[in-house]
Amino acid sequence: MPSVLRVRPASPPPKGPPKGPGQQAALGLEPRELWVAAHVPQLPLLALRMADHAASLARPMAKPLAKPMAKPLIVVDPEHNQRVIDADQEARAAGVRIGMTLGAAFAAAPGIDARPRDPVREQQLMQRLAGIAAAFTPQVSIEPPDGLLLEIRPSINLFGGLRELCRRLRDACRADPVLSQIRAAPHFTLAPTALAALVAARAGARCFITDATVLPARLKPLPLAALRWPEEQNARLTAMGVRTLGELVRLPRAGFARRFGPGMLADLDRLLGHRPDPRARLVRRERYRGVRDFDHELEDHERILQALAPLLDELEHFLRVRQRGITALQCRFHHYRAAPTCCTLRLAAPEASAERFTNLLRERLATLALPEPVRRCELRGGALTHRTATSRPLWSPGERGHASAGEMPALVEHLRARLGTAAVYGIGCVPEHRPEHAWCVAEPKMGTRKIGTSLFNDEPRTGSASLSPLNRDVPIFRVPIFRPLWLLEAPQPLEAQRGRPRHDGPLELLAGPERIESGWWDGADIQRDYYVASDRYGARLWIYRECAGTKQWFLHGICG
Amino acid sequence: MSAANDKQLQELLAHPSVWRGRSRAAVETLPTGFAALDAGLPGGGWPRHGLVEILTPRSGVGELYLLLPVLAALSRSTPARWCTWVSPPHEPFAPALQAHGVALDRMLIVRTHLPLWAHEQALRSGACEMALAWLPRASPRAIRRLQLAAEQGRALGVLYRSQRFAHLASPAMLRVLLEPLNEGGRHGARLRLLKSRGGSREPIDITWTAAAA
Repeated sequence: MPSVLRVRPASPPPKGPPKGPGQQAALGLEPRELWVAAHVPQLPLLALRMADHAASLARPMAKPLAKPMAKPLIVVDPEHNQRVIDADQEARAAGVRIGMTLGAAFAAAPGIDARPRDPVREQQLMQRLAGIAAAFTPQVSIEPPDGLLLEIRPSINLFGGLRELCRRLRDACRADPVLSQIRAAPHFTLAPTALAALVAARAGARCFITDATVLPARLKPLPLAALRWPEEQNARLTAMGVRTLGELVRLPRAGFARRFGPGMLADLDRLLGHRPDPRARLVRRERYRGVRDFDHELEDHERILQALAPLLDELEHFLRVRQRGITALQCRFHHYRAAPTCCTLRLAAPEASAERFTNLLRERLATLALPEPVRRCELRGGALTHRTATSRPLWSPGERGHASAGEMPALVEHLRARLGTAAVYGIGCVPEHRPEHAWCVAEPKMGTRKIGTSLFNDEPRTGSASLSPLNRDVPIFRVPIFRPLWLLEAPQPLEAQRGRPRHDGPLELLAGPERIESGWWDGADIQRDYYVASDRYGARLWIYRECAGTKQWFLHGICG
Repeated sequence: MSAANDKQLQELLAHPSVWRGRSRAAVETLPTGFAALDAGLPGGGWPRHGLVEILTPRSGVGELYLLLPVLAALSRSTPARWCTWVSPPHEPFAPALQAHGVALDRMLIVRTHLPLWAHEQALRSGACEMALAWLPRASPRAIRRLQLAAEQGRALGVLYRSQRFAHLASPAMLRVLLEPLNEGGRHGARLRLLKSRGGSREPIDITWTAAAA
């Protein structure tokens, strides 16, 4: 039995990278992934500072009284026996250490301010950091509680090289107003595996490794605690004399797995890149929100639209960089005394163009009565949806049978913005015998029709003889019989003279009767005999007579 | 006059935007689906873009049958745009339209107290193949706007009005007076072209055989 086994995969990978770093560069081989990790030191403390900062923003007029009276601050974890989990510089100077009990901390420094941690704010802070990082790569994941991982390999060329990308990332974090206000300084590291980058960031080590072959050597001095394994396992390893990662990877592989379980061995494999380590991509639900205070009160619609233009431009930029569109936009006008006026634009298709929003808002404002002049305006975008960019057509619509996809939803939105959603609709057929139930209001179909779709349902198709009639997508209920082109909203009672119906004079029955008797199951059952009749002006009407009861005549449709 | 000059003049006069009183204008047209009407209309059909005014003594005399073939053809053309119905008098009955070959997914119904505005938007947008409107009243100025909008949006605009307005001047491209015709079991209509760019002066009789079987 060999005395020492290096921790490495049971079988070496079939195509291992060449050994020396110089050789690798010459061959142009690079590791498949490159991970940037960001660790936020003192996250609980920063989260509390962020809460204070948000509170001071909410009350801009209140004087910052808190500053001169600031006491040394410690953060305790109420779920963990009120242990101290973070302390600011003054508290540390006064002798408070992480892991102390609350009582011990007060004994060390009597004048300190102890507050419970705020996990929600901590998460918000990480989300904010993730939002900044998302501008550089779509593969962003949060490693709770205080780590962030970005896979940046595909973005390197776009941002002009690795160093430039990292510099921009750091600058973007510094430029963020909230992060700079609370003096958050994330520590960034770069490594070919996610776990290695994260471990180095937690340890606070300088780490800028692009070469997977030097990774084990560079990880050697890092402390064991940076792996964040359970406390008791760390204690066992420490008792074995293992304090650094270098000592850890030198342990015999089989023995390590037997003592500590396969899970921790898998962690080590991931650390060194011997085992894939996919991370779930963070999907952020974000909305646009913009507020603008006007210099003076505005009443004129055009002026309001002009004042809104910067917000709409900002919205367009917001959507364009995300390649998304919105289908709803809420606009809230604040007045001096009256309650805010709210108007919501609903779009038929995802949209991102400021010009379109302006046009729709103009129509909408024309129908909106503002109780008082507007002092401030707020725009809230709806959920972001996928938007496929379309190129401008060569032909104008209608020319050479061309229809561009954009105009058709635009017309529906435009009409709906002014007339209301219910005023503009499509129609559809329902397989039903009762005429009033045989049609329905349908949402207008926006998509352009594809060539070759089965439009011509009612034409016999060649080659489909083997299909049974029920399987074909022709409507089962077809109308081989006569139906009028117009249907009255409600049947209109007709007078009758000696059993003959009258409508502006006697009616002449031309065809019929057609008995329609249906609907006993839903309470709206009918028993009617339908006739086609002609009035004395030559107009054709569709009338019926109740089979039961009063035998009353009704006008139900007009032929065309 | 030399032959070359004459040829140039002929070329100039053949331009679609030049129309002379007795000549038939060279406009893009759509077949109406009725042979007699095709023969009577300038260019052999409905204008592809422009405004058509249809005047009827009352509703239900066949004014919709007249347009069913073109409605079916336009709604089923491959990249079809909307066929918009602005404030129709009743509900268009979907099963009957479908049975006549109209593609329902291209129908757009607009109920409004602003029919003129909606009709103009529909015509101008470039999103409609065809826009039908039922207007209680329309000034010549408004009709002129609709005519221009239809040309701009390359749409066929149809304006249904009462026969009472037949004597008033109208800037529409084509004006058709429709009267029901019921003779000896024949169900049809008699059309008179009140205004057309070179159409027939005689009344045109058509029968709704295909449409109203």
